[in-house]
Amino acid sequence: MTRGQRLKIYVIILLIIIPVFLSGCWDSIQLDKLSIVSGLGWDINLDTGDVTLTYQSIVPSQIKSTSSTSGSGEQKGGGALNTIQLDHSTGSSPYDALSRYTQHGSRIPYYRHTQVFIFGKDGAEQGIYPFIDTVARNPAGRPNILMAVSEKKASDILGVQNGMESIQAIGMAEEIKLSAAFSKYPEVTFLEFANRLMSKTTAPIAPMIGIFLETGPDGKKIQKIRITGTAVFKGDSMIGQLNERESSGLLWAINKIKKGFVMIPEASLEIVRAKSKIVPELQDDKIEITIEIDEESNLIEYKGRKDLTADIVQELEKGQAKEIKSQVMAAVEKSFSLDADVFGFGDAVHRKYKNEWKNLKPMWDEVYPNIKVVVKVKTHLNEIGDVNKALMKK
Amino acid sequence: MLLEKGKISNFQLSVLIVGFVFGSSVIIPPGQGAGHDAWIACALGLMEGLLIVWIFTALAKQFKDKTIVEINSLVYGKILGKCISVLFIWYLFHLGALVLNNYARFFKLEIYPATPKAVGLLLVMLVCASTVGRGIEVLARCGLILAPLTLLVAVTDTLLVIPHIDLKNLLPILDVPIRKLLFVSHGTASFPFAETVAFLMVLAFVDKPEKGPSAVSRGLLISGFIFIMVAVRNAAVLGQMGTVYNYPTYIAVQVIDIGDIFNRLEALVAINLITMGFIKISILLYGTVLGLAQVFNLRSYRPIILPVGILMVILALTNVGNTLEMLEFASKGYSIYAVPFQIGIPLITLVIAKLRKLPPKGEVNS
Repeated sequence: MTRGQRLKIYVIILLIIIPVFLSGCWDSIQLDKLSIVSGLGWDINLDTGDVTLTYQSIVPSQIKSTSSTSGSGEQKGGGALNTIQLDHSTGSSPYDALSRYTQHGSRIPYYRHTQVFIFGKDGAEQGIYPFIDTVARNPAGRPNILMAVSEKKASDILGVQNGMESIQAIGMAEEIKLSAAFSKYPEVTFLEFANRLMSKTTAPIAPMIGIFLETGPDGKKIQKIRITGTAVFKGDSMIGQLNERESSGLLWAINKIKKGFVMIPEASLEIVRAKSKIVPELQDDKIEITIEIDEESNLIEYKGRKDLTADIVQELEKGQAKEIKSQVMAAVEKSFSLDADVFGFGDAVHRKYKNEWKNLKPMWDEVYPNIKVVVKVKTHLNEIGDVNKALMKK
Repeated sequence: MLLEKGKISNFQLSVLIVGFVFGSSVIIPPGQGAGHDAWIACALGLMEGLLIVWIFTALAKQFKDKTIVEINSLVYGKILGKCISVLFIWYLFHLGALVLNNYARFFKLEIYPATPKAVGLLLVMLVCASTVGRGIEVLARCGLILAPLTLLVAVTDTLLVIPHIDLKNLLPILDVPIRKLLFVSHGTASFPFAETVAFLMVLAFVDKPEKGPSAVSRGLLISGFIFIMVAVRNAAVLGQMGTVYNYPTYIAVQVIDIGDIFNRLEALVAINLITMGFIKISILLYGTVLGLAQVFNLRSYRPIILPVGILMVILALTNVGNTLEMLEFASKGYSIYAVPFQIGIPLITLVIAKLRKLPPKGEVNS
C-alpha cells in the first residue's frame, strides 16, 4: 500500500466515525419524536387564576396532502385535513402548564419554530410577566417571535384555520407582518416588547387580533382572523387599545411607517418614504415634545375631476399633512387619556436630558399627560401617476 | 537543553493574540456591566490593556529568548524565582480552567443541555493536548486558519444585523456613573486584554523579538476594535435587554433574518467560541506545561500535557457552582484577583531586572 492509499483509507474511516459524534449522543433529537409548536396561546381563568397554554403544533404528515386543497378555506375540525393540532394544558404558572403537556401529548414540544405568542385579553389584563420571564430565560425563546393580543380567548384564535397558509400560526404571523408593512398596525417582536417593558416609562404595545365571519365560496359562513387594533400595556398588564386611526398615528410618531396610504377627502396617496423624529425640549420642568415627520408620496387616486396644477399639488400636500397630523394627535390624546407612554417620550427625554431624567422618572405618570406635543409634518408629492389631466371633467 | 525548538513569526504572534483575546469573550462581550456604554468601557479597557502589554513585552524584549520562568530564575535567584514562577503558572492553569468552564456552561445552556459537561470538555482537551504536544509552531498555524474565520464571522454577523440596529439605543452617552464605568473598564482590561500576559511563555520563540511588542499590540488593537464594534452592535440591536441576557452576542445574532433564508445564524457564534476557545485553552495549557517543565528541569514537557489537561478539566468542572457565579466572578472578583499576575509580577520583575542591569550585556544573544 502506498502512502496515498493509506491516507485515503484513514479519511474514509474518519468520515464514517464523524457522523456518529456529530449527531450528539445525549442531545440527539429525532424529528418524529417532536411536536413542532407553531403558535402558543396564553389565557388566564379569572376565577381560579390558572394559566392555560394553548399549543398549536404542526402535524407534518398532513401538510403535503392539504397544500393543494387548502384554498377552499377548510375550517377547524373540517375532516381529516387538519395540518395543526391544538392542545390545552392548565396549571398555576406557565411552566406548570407546560409540564402538564406531558399528560396528553405523545411528543416533546419544540419551540424553536414558534411564530407567534397570543395572549387572551383577560390574561393580558392580569399581567403577562411570568410568561415574558419564562420566554426570556428559556434558550428556545427566540427574540423575534411576534406578540399579539386576541380580543377573546387565545385558544379560540389559534383554532381558526387560515385559508391561504396550511399552518395557521404562520398565516397569522404573515398577516401581522403585512399589516405592519402597510403601516396599519405595529408588528411587535418579543425583543421589542421586552425592551419597552424594561424601560419602565415606555408602554409596551402589541397588535390585537379578532375573529370575524366571512361568507365562503359555498355560501357557508367561515371564521377568519383580522387585526383590529393595538393593545396598550402599562407595565405588563394591558390597559386599553388604540383603534385603526390611532394605531397609524402611533406608527407615524415612532418612525415605523414603511409603505401604505394616506386618504384625504379629494385624493389617496401612496407613501413612498417616511421618516419621523421625536425631539424633546425641557424648560423649567415643562416638557415640550416636537414630532417631526417628513413624508414623500405618490398620487394614486384623484377624485377632483380637474387637470392637475401646481396649486392643486400644493393643496394635496397640505391636506395630507393635515391628515397625518390629526392621526398623530388622535394617538397622542388617546395615550394621554390612558396615561401610557406608547411613543417612548420618556426615553427620548432620557436620551437628551440624562441628569434631569433622574428626577422626572419616578413621577413620569403625573408628568406625562401634561406634556405639550407639537406635530410638524413636511410632505412632498413626488409623482402624479401616468396621466396629468382629468379623464372626465366636471 | 531546549524544550521548544519551534519559532513563530511576528505575524503569527499577532494572529495568535487575536485568537487568544477573542477566546471566551466571543460569548461574554467585554464591558457588559456598563450597559449601553459598554463600547466606552471597551475602549478604555483596551487602552489599559495596551499599557499592561507594554510592561510585559518590555520585559520579554529585555531577555529576548527567555520565558518568564527563566527570567524569574535569573532575576530573583533560583529558589525565590521558581516560587514566583509556580504562582504565575498557577494563574495560567486557573485561567485555562475558567475558560473551559465558560465553554462548558455555554454549551450546556444553549446547545447540548443533556450532554454531560465532562464529555465536551474532555473532547476539547484532547484536541488542545494533541496540538500542544506538537509545539508552538503547529498552534500558530492553527491560529492562522481559525482567527481570520472568526473575524470574518464577527464582521458578517454585524453587517447582516444592520437592519435591526437602532443607534438611538446608545444614547445617552455616559449614562453609568463614572466610578462604575472605570471599574468595568478595568474589568475589560483584565478580561480579556491583559490576559495576554500568558504570552510571556510564548514571546521567547518569536523570530524577531525586538519587534515583539508591536506585534502583540497590533493583535490587541485588532481584537479591541472588533470588541468595540460588537459592543455597539449588541447595545444597538438588543437595547436594554442587552443588559439582562447572559450571552448578548448569541441573542443579537438570533435576530438576524434576511428574507426568511439567512436566519438562525447563532450556531456561528458557537463555532467561534469553539475555535477561539481552543486557541486560548491551548496557549494556556502550553504555558502551564512548558513552565512546569522548566521549573522542574524536565527533559520534555510532553508527558505532562495530558495529566495537566485533565486536572484543568477537573478544576473547570468543580470551581464554579453556576453561571451566575461565573459571570459575577468574571465581572467583579476576577479584575482584582488578576492584578498581581497581569501587572504585579511583570512590573516588579522588570524594575528589578533594570536595577540589577540584567541580563549582562554579553549574554543577550547567547
